[in-house]
Amino acid sequence: MFVRFSGSVIAVAVAAAAVGALVSASVTQTLGQAGGARPPTILGKPNFSGIWQANNEANWDLTAHAALPGAVTQQGVYPFDYARVPAAPVLALGAAGAVPGSLGVVQDDGQIPYRPEALAIKKENAEHWIDRDPELKCYLPGIPRAMYMPYPFEITQSTNKIHIAYEFSNSARTIHLDKVEGPPDDTWMGHSVGQWDGDTLVVDVGNFNDRTWFDRAGDFHSDALHLEERFTLMTPDIIHYEVTIDDPKVFTRPWRIAMPIYRRVEPNMQLIEFRCNEFVEEFMYGGLRKEPLVKHWEGETISIDVTRKVPPGDKFYEWYR
Amino acid sequence: MPARSRNAAMMAVVAAAVICAAGSLPIARTAAESPAANVSLRTPWGEPDLQGIWTVETDTPFQRSPKYANQEFFTEAQRAEFDRERAQLRGRDNRGERGSERDVAGAYNAVFGAMKRTGTRTSMIIDPPDGRIPPMTAAAQKIAAEDREFRLAMMRATQTCKLNQPGCAGGKYDPTPTPRRYEIPARYNVARMNRHDRPEDGALADRCLTPGLPEFGAGNGGGSFRRIVQTPGGIAIAYDVGQGQGWQRSIVMNGSPHLPASIRQWFGDSRGHWEGDTLVVDVTNFSPKTDYRGSRENLHLIERWRRTSPTTLEYIATIDDPTVWTRPWSVMQEFTRQDEEQNRIYYEPRCIEGNEGFPAMMKAARQEDREFAEGRGPDPITKDNASGYNEPDPLQQ
Repeated sequence: MFVRFSGSVIAVAVAAAAVGALVSASVTQTLGQAGGARPPTILGKPNFSGIWQANNEANWDLTAHAALPGAVTQQGVYPFDYARVPAAPVLALGAAGAVPGSLGVVQDDGQIPYRPEALAIKKENAEHWIDRDPELKCYLPGIPRAMYMPYPFEITQSTNKIHIAYEFSNSARTIHLDKVEGPPDDTWMGHSVGQWDGDTLVVDVGNFNDRTWFDRAGDFHSDALHLEERFTLMTPDIIHYEVTIDDPKVFTRPWRIAMPIYRRVEPNMQLIEFRCNEFVEEFMYGGLRKEPLVKHWEGETISIDVTRKVPPGDKFYEWYR
Repeated sequence: MPARSRNAAMMAVVAAAVICAAGSLPIARTAAESPAANVSLRTPWGEPDLQGIWTVETDTPFQRSPKYANQEFFTEAQRAEFDRERAQLRGRDNRGERGSERDVAGAYNAVFGAMKRTGTRTSMIIDPPDGRIPPMTAAAQKIAAEDREFRLAMMRATQTCKLNQPGCAGGKYDPTPTPRRYEIPARYNVARMNRHDRPEDGALADRCLTPGLPEFGAGNGGGSFRRIVQTPGGIAIAYDVGQGQGWQRSIVMNGSPHLPASIRQWFGDSRGHWEGDTLVVDVTNFSPKTDYRGSRENLHLIERWRRTSPTTLEYIATIDDPTVWTRPWSVMQEFTRQDEEQNRIYYEPRCIEGNEGFPAMMKAARQEDREFAEGRGPDPITKDNASGYNEPDPLQQ
């Protein structure tokens, strides 16, 4: 079973949004976040402006999966996949290092239609997650991944541009409603051109490089990636977000993901910087220190001593005294 | 000016972007949008329209030279003379003594920096009226002097000091390596130093951590761009300051107070409101890791953005930090609207994604450490791996 939304629900929401046909300063509907009063429409089209965030497990794995004991696991006592145990990188984190399960966001048969040779790369990617996932290096996350990472993003919708600023790594993209030609080079975040299909914003995204991933499970694409995103307001505070993903070099056919994206309705909501390239310096360059901070590095191999001392009073049985 | 990236390897990484910036100067102007008669300066919802991609088309002295003490604007003849002088400077193969470190490093010279036509004003500073940065407080002067002293100590055994080159200005040659070579700086380091023992020894720009506000159009030396997008009650500004670096600002427009003092940010916390047709933005909550001419977590900016014509946007920033300067001061810049089609590359600042230069500096330093330990090379502290090689711009004095 996968995330789906009924067409009639959307139609009702759209009709409600369409009532305010023109932008009007007299509209005082407060959508409850930084920015204050926002009209529900701009030039007769739904106004997506505001701060949003997906609330699902897609960034862990787009496909359906059971919970895992750790983001990195190793064989424990048994040789079975279902009996693996957490491995060193996340061991000291306990349950915080585990992976939540999910019904997945891939539509139709729930499978990503990899070509056989690409499926082998995906599996290898998953095994080398720490070494390969661009997220861990704080690289630009790409689209669609930036839309469902566990960080908020802010949409600023104007008449001919829609700017989206993502909290993760100061990344952003501008959706051109006025059909600006693509950049002369490929990009991490893609080149986005939008148009309206009734009250649905349809965004065509291309000019990608082959560096970004879809999730932490090693799902990847080539520079032939091409997306069609559809943004539809289900309610003033929920976007139905759907993407058709096409990449003939990697997949046998186009496939779709869909999910709700929720407005961050806190009255004081704003983006807080997450400038992670600072956070990953040790991860990326620690081996080049004159005096290593961790146990030691051999070339690019890191050896970390994890010493977890339990302070007096915090032993688990002491909690119940 | 924040720390600049003058790292050779990094230059190669971002060569494409730099060439693009340099190529538009001073030979061919970047394609400014031609003033269209029907361009409305208001958004459909009635706010002043500040939207578009904005850059700076000219070079203006930051401070007014005493030479132009009573002169707010250059004469046409003065501008032409500056243009002539600087155009010659630009292509110069600026090298040090043959065989010196500077000779080799000179391979990366003025061609990597942008130089534009001379602007009309004799200074970007409009207040104080003399066009000069006001005096620093005694405490700030002391901090700056100590910082300079620390950095010069790191340089003192180098050829740069021996040959009395600009990278040693204020210092003296002493062949004995400084005992301060392992010292951790008193404040968070933001600039290139002659030591690469750890990432934190690097300049912020080398680390892809360019701070950035206030930003007057110079970027990391090659010019900068900002894209403004407005919605009723919201304003987004996306910066690209060159060297693959940039950031996003969402101006909070709902009248709410600043973030709690415990939250410190690289680009501060921006709260805006309209005063007539001027967008006024109050910026505080800067991180102590940022540094604008000595001002860190106490920096307070008041920015005033005003559309002055279809193709121009006036930006005035009042800079206040009583711990650093004896009075607030203000800088004005005029941004020019750029054509979307001409700026298709300035969409995506990317730095850490290709920053081979920064780890290469540390890798090279570890190699030098090994060679020295094995008696095969000089003590690394006697080599200059820090100072820049660009010739001073006669306009900036």
